[in-house]
Amino acid sequence: MKKLFGIISLIFAVLLLAACGESEEDIYTLLMEAEDLSGMKAKMGTVISEDGDLGLPKEYNGVEITYKSRNPDIISDDGIVTLPGECWIESRDQKGEKKFEGLNDNWPVVIDVTLSYKGMERTAKLLFVVAPREGYTCDKYLG
Amino acid sequence: MRRLLLTVLLLLSIFGFTACNNKKPVYTEDDYKRLNAVIHHVENILKYGKAYNPDTELLPDAINTLTGEPAKWVFPNRATVPYSNMANQQNFLRTLVALSTVTGNPKYKNQAVATLSEFMENYQDPNGLFYWGGHRMINLDTLEVQSTEGPDGPHELKNMMPYYELMYEVDPDATLKFMRQLWTAHYEWDTSDLNRHGSYSTAYDQNAFGQKIPDDIIKFGDDGRPIIPEDSPGKLPFVNSATDLSYAALTLSRYTHDPAPKAWARYLMRQYKLASDPVTGMTVYQFKSTLISKSPQECSNPAYTNSGCGDRARRQFRDFGAIAREANIAWKNTQAMYVDNILMLVESGKRYNIPEFIEWAREYLEGYLEYAYIRVNGQNKIIPMFIDGTVTYGYVFPEVGYYGPSNSRLDYVDMPTTYILPILRTVLSLEKNEDKIVLWNYLRDIIYTFGIGDIGELGGKKPNLDLDTSVDDPFALMALIELYEATGNMQYLDAARTIGNNIVKEKFHRGFFVEDEILLYSRLDQPDTLALLILDGVIKGFKVDELPFYLADSGYIHGYLLADDGVVEDRNYSHRIIYTKTIYDWE
Repeated sequence: MKKLFGIISLIFAVLLLAACGESEEDIYTLLMEAEDLSGMKAKMGTVISEDGDLGLPKEYNGVEITYKSRNPDIISDDGIVTLPGECWIESRDQKGEKKFEGLNDNWPVVIDVTLSYKGMERTAKLLFVVAPREGYTCDKYLG
Repeated sequence: MRRLLLTVLLLLSIFGFTACNNKKPVYTEDDYKRLNAVIHHVENILKYGKAYNPDTELLPDAINTLTGEPAKWVFPNRATVPYSNMANQQNFLRTLVALSTVTGNPKYKNQAVATLSEFMENYQDPNGLFYWGGHRMINLDTLEVQSTEGPDGPHELKNMMPYYELMYEVDPDATLKFMRQLWTAHYEWDTSDLNRHGSYSTAYDQNAFGQKIPDDIIKFGDDGRPIIPEDSPGKLPFVNSATDLSYAALTLSRYTHDPAPKAWARYLMRQYKLASDPVTGMTVYQFKSTLISKSPQECSNPAYTNSGCGDRARRQFRDFGAIAREANIAWKNTQAMYVDNILMLVESGKRYNIPEFIEWAREYLEGYLEYAYIRVNGQNKIIPMFIDGTVTYGYVFPEVGYYGPSNSRLDYVDMPTTYILPILRTVLSLEKNEDKIVLWNYLRDIIYTFGIGDIGELGGKKPNLDLDTSVDDPFALMALIELYEATGNMQYLDAARTIGNNIVKEKFHRGFFVEDEILLYSRLDQPDTLALLILDGVIKGFKVDELPFYLADSGYIHGYLLADDGVVEDRNYSHRIIYTKTIYDWE
């Protein structure tokens, strides 16, 4: 009888824990972890000055990671960098006469990230700074 | 034996159910310790605040926690004035009322009424404006009105949202008169120009709001974008003034049953919606630019940033072309646009049945978070950009201007914890789950990144909060209380209690709540004590709506004072000069 009582108590304890959600796989934490530990942010904070692959991870511990660039001519959705042939911004003085060479050449490029795992999604953003290629032009004053 | 087993099963089931769904919190010793700290703080504020001048019920804006003396404004001529500015004490009035509610002791609310009565009876100009706000205060030595901006400082409120319910209870006529005159003194009825400075010389107009509401100021170009008029004679309609005007008008309609003020409030706030970006949804700080009134010669120096030289963003960020307008900047004044403004829109939308206010709040926040919210090095940040999504991160200013000196570089903008509350309140105000999910997911990420843990799925399912969090923030506390009330999930309340305990541990020093242990002054307008009392009330079974609610803590004094070096004249703010002083500065 004692044995039976013990088994029933154990089953209820397990059910109780499950009902309170304490033993569920924490997908949300995994998705957060994927953003921080997958390496997708490795080149944020540096100036990218070479063509090539950023090596953006497509997967992390089962989490699928996809990217959508806001400037695909410079960084594609696959993370391939093509250095632009012109500066980002041409800066001049208030009269529009004096040029400030090299002041705002590097392009900020935002990439929207979607992380998915077992039907749950989270979003994140990456911001990379890309330098123009050697011999670039800068004749695009908008002021 | 079978009966025994069934009984055991029944007991276990009941235990399991209550463990997961306990909706009646038990009042604990820790709960009482928090309440006791607030009582201690309030008693000290009243003791020392009233002791300074027994002839008045007015209280100082802040108290020196080493001496018990009022904070003092030192004018350039070295005149030292202990000051009381009722505009900067609204959260203390709310704290007093909340304390009476949760303790059942009427003396605290009675004190709030006594203080407010003296103020409203003696410090309302014949034209209806009160002597309070950015440039006026009461000298606690002489009980005379003092101006900090020359001899005749103007009336100025920015995101103040006064405690009108209590004001109306104390003096209905004075309250209604003020709410009418706030518009008359600050607003141009036919052009929607809006001066943050209101004159005490403007005659009172009993028939304010009697004019026909004009066509919308904002029209649209062929490209579908709003056209920002460039015709404001230096009276730019900044949203941090518009929120106060709208809140006053809506409250006026509530008390008078006159629909006209409400219609004007809707009209005014609609101009901000119309001027918002039609694609991203991001909103604007203003919907006008200034009329150019200065000569090209005067404006040829970029360091001369007078608004008479035209739109200051166009002057300094001209490299970006047409999008560079003051209205379109999304990295400055973000607290005004996305915190204070949203709190007013949502509160008014719910209370006064204005569904478009809640919808606009949703659109503004969704646009801002979708385009600009980013996590960098484990912190919540904002990417600087114009409201059409044009990123300005990394831009180096070629020349000096209104937005800063030359060679300044635009970096990520901090996202403080204040953002939590407007996002949550917007979510809780929406009816359909499909409308809530986008903002909820952002809120979930933001709160997690602040170190509070996971609030779980929409509706309060499966939260995984950090019940040992070190966060000691009143906005996070209020958000978790409101989450608890909305969902009934005990975990939110447990996390709220942890944050409440942290607030007491980290901020209650020398008998007062201070923002940091080493800071000298305890400000009456701080939101911590109100948040702690809302927590106490909810644990005791009160609804959040039965307690005074938090809307803003934007009070300040601005004007001329003596710089810290004791020699130079400075023009600055109380929160930059006075409330940054530490106990070591005093010694």
